[in-house]
Amino acid sequence: MSRVVVKDVCFSYRSGEEVLKGITLDFDEKSTAIIGQNGAGKTTFVKLLKGLLKPTRGEIYILGRSANEMTAAALAPFIGLVFQNPNDQIFRSTVLEEVMFGPLNIGEDPKGARKKAEEALEMVGLTEKASENPHDLRLSEKKLVCVASIVAMEPEILILDEPTIAQDHAGMAAIRQVIRRFKEQGKLVMGILHDMDFAAENFERVVVFHQGTVVADDDPREVFSRESLLQRAGLEVPHITRLGWSLGRKETFLTEAELIQSLRGEGSTDR
Amino acid sequence: MKTFSLYVPRDSLIHRINPIDKILYTITAIAVPLILPSMAASFLCMLISLSLLAAARVVRQSLPVFAFVFLILCTVVLIQGWFYPGNQTPLFGVEPFVFHAEGLMKACRIGIRVTNVVAAFLLLVLTTKPADLVEELVRRGLSPRIGYVLDSIFQILPQMMNTTRTILDAQRSRGLETEGSLWVRVKAFLPLIVPVVMSSLIHAKERALALEVRGLHFEGQRTWLREKRTYPYSREIRGGLLLVLTASIVWRILG
Amino acid sequence: MSKIRVEHLKYRYPSSEKLALDDLSFEVDEGEMIGIIGRNGAGKSTLCQAFVGLVPHFYRGAYGGKVVVSGLEVLKSSVSQLARRVGIVFQNPFTQVTGSKWTVYEEVAFGLENLGVPRKEMIDRIDYALQLLGMEKYRDRHPFDLSGGQMQRMAIASVIALQPEILVLDEPTSQLDPQGSEEVFRAVHRLREEGMTVILAEHNMEKIARYCNRVMLLDGGKIIDFASPASVFSRADLTRYGVVPPVYTRVCRELNAKREGSPHFPVTLEEACEVLKGR
Repeated sequence: MSRVVVKDVCFSYRSGEEVLKGITLDFDEKSTAIIGQNGAGKTTFVKLLKGLLKPTRGEIYILGRSANEMTAAALAPFIGLVFQNPNDQIFRSTVLEEVMFGPLNIGEDPKGARKKAEEALEMVGLTEKASENPHDLRLSEKKLVCVASIVAMEPEILILDEPTIAQDHAGMAAIRQVIRRFKEQGKLVMGILHDMDFAAENFERVVVFHQGTVVADDDPREVFSRESLLQRAGLEVPHITRLGWSLGRKETFLTEAELIQSLRGEGSTDR
Repeated sequence: MKTFSLYVPRDSLIHRINPIDKILYTITAIAVPLILPSMAASFLCMLISLSLLAAARVVRQSLPVFAFVFLILCTVVLIQGWFYPGNQTPLFGVEPFVFHAEGLMKACRIGIRVTNVVAAFLLLVLTTKPADLVEELVRRGLSPRIGYVLDSIFQILPQMMNTTRTILDAQRSRGLETEGSLWVRVKAFLPLIVPVVMSSLIHAKERALALEVRGLHFEGQRTWLREKRTYPYSREIRGGLLLVLTASIVWRILG
Repeated sequence: MSKIRVEHLKYRYPSSEKLALDDLSFEVDEGEMIGIIGRNGAGKSTLCQAFVGLVPHFYRGAYGGKVVVSGLEVLKSSVSQLARRVGIVFQNPFTQVTGSKWTVYEEVAFGLENLGVPRKEMIDRIDYALQLLGMEKYRDRHPFDLSGGQMQRMAIASVIALQPEILVLDEPTSQLDPQGSEEVFRAVHRLREEGMTVILAEHNMEKIARYCNRVMLLDGGKIIDFASPASVFSRADLTRYGVVPPVYTRVCRELNAKREGSPHFPVTLEEACEVLKGR
């Protein structure tokens, strides 16, 4: 079933400068990475989905509801968007309260909100920091607090805008965990990413934006095998894919495990 | 690039005048009517300021400001015309709203003075690039740090407004209603203002670090990328303005 | 000759009880490119700022030991004095724009004006820096109208114009897209060819392995290791310090493929290909 339907959507901030030029996309529950250069229109696109901007032309439906006619706050229970910069939202004096803010806003009672907040914090590995002041945390931890603050609202659709920026290994693992949980629950999760390795590894579908249009939309193996297209869109192939190709493999590898298996398989016949 | 500056780029003589001379002019144009309370002096100053605006070809850009001022002056006319304590000579109207000659005269005087002040300020603001003014001031001994702050206000404030918009979006995404009854708006205040303040502080700190390593606090003599500009008629303008000021003071004392 | 000498450096932020840097001693030679790795909070940024004097002059706090950068002792020099020897570029391209200049050209001039560089020399230096960073074509653009990658290159140009002997980069590309990031690294590579000593704190291990000749692994404010990329990334206990080696090293470790005559695993694409060829 379609969770999100985008029909011929155009958008411009200033008249005459179209940021999105007729986007038509349909999203089921398949986790989706949105990739593209800065300025390709990715963030504008997800803001439209979230109802923060209204298309200048075209229609958007979120779980059957027309996003054109709903405010972002009204859409909040259905679709959650984690912003890039955590400093743009943190305002409570403890991490737990910060994460409870969303659930309380959408009508959860304090007890229920607390429970959901605690679960969300556990998912991102910040349970121990629940009573700390979020402003004292590191940027990477603040970002995870923001992820938790949206996750706690239990939206049907989750969008992450550049979640991997400034994250170290542990932070990446936490984001991976959130994506996996949403997938397990059959919910749609989307991520805007600059990290091709992360996109290849964690998502089932990749949409490539370039200058306000969608230039590719397929499963990751298909998209990441089109090197010239990626180059034109200012992107790169994942490191592991590059290694596979450099070793003369024809296939497009997306994870270490795949390449290792392939190398093991053939390697053993040599010996 | 968005900016708060009202500067209108034009190639006019007024634009080429030293920004400091323009400040001096603004001061004189405001001071003279204060020193010489006669209506004629105010009227003359206003006329000069307005014709200088015309000479700088920025009349169109100053119209919105004058329109706003005019609105306020309309209320002044009503209030003074009806209720000025010195009112004696009724002209027209129905009790208690009768216009009096003294009140209207008073309103007229206020109108001329205000127009004069606004015109003198607009002449400075519309024809002077803020950066040029700051550079002149720093060359004359203003602290470069203060100069930097003055310069950056024009760009940093619009950036802060962008941040504020993003914060509004981020909180609305978490289900915060920001439109509706007064109570809804009051409740939305804290979730909006705290991130605005905090992110401004964080940006300010990061920017301070970046400026520090580029020598903002260097103690030695500084230099300028732009050559020192020579402005036309600087001596004449200053001499003239000084003369006008002295003359009006003398006039006041003798008269 | 060593460009940087650090002796028993200890530092604690004023608001903290824990040492951010805990007894660091090392030297860096001229022309080296050093990668600093470690989990968030390991002390990477603090160390970067200790080279340019922001630690301790900007933050204050408790400071012990000695840092000498190209002959200047940090504790005894002002940040402005140090700025001529060692430049730093931060993570966020946006907050490094002064906001007081209207063109890229003027923006690059900012530091030179502050430090009192004569006008004629200033122009030569700006032209050189813009050309080196491939930014000449944007010289009349407004600084805030640039893309992230361009803004970051402008920040580097602004620092390079001060003619430092050492360039410190604190996660310079984490907010950039792949192309912007590549632009910055190519520019840094060019600076190295000009003989610049470079310190780079970064989470992208593939980039560290490709560009750096030595890698410093920090954890809890201490140096865990400081050696060649191959040696550091071949450590079996690396994940304990919150660091994952480059993908090439991970694959080769899994297949136990070491370089001939070396105790270490490959760390770059080229090395991995060489070792894995024919498999």
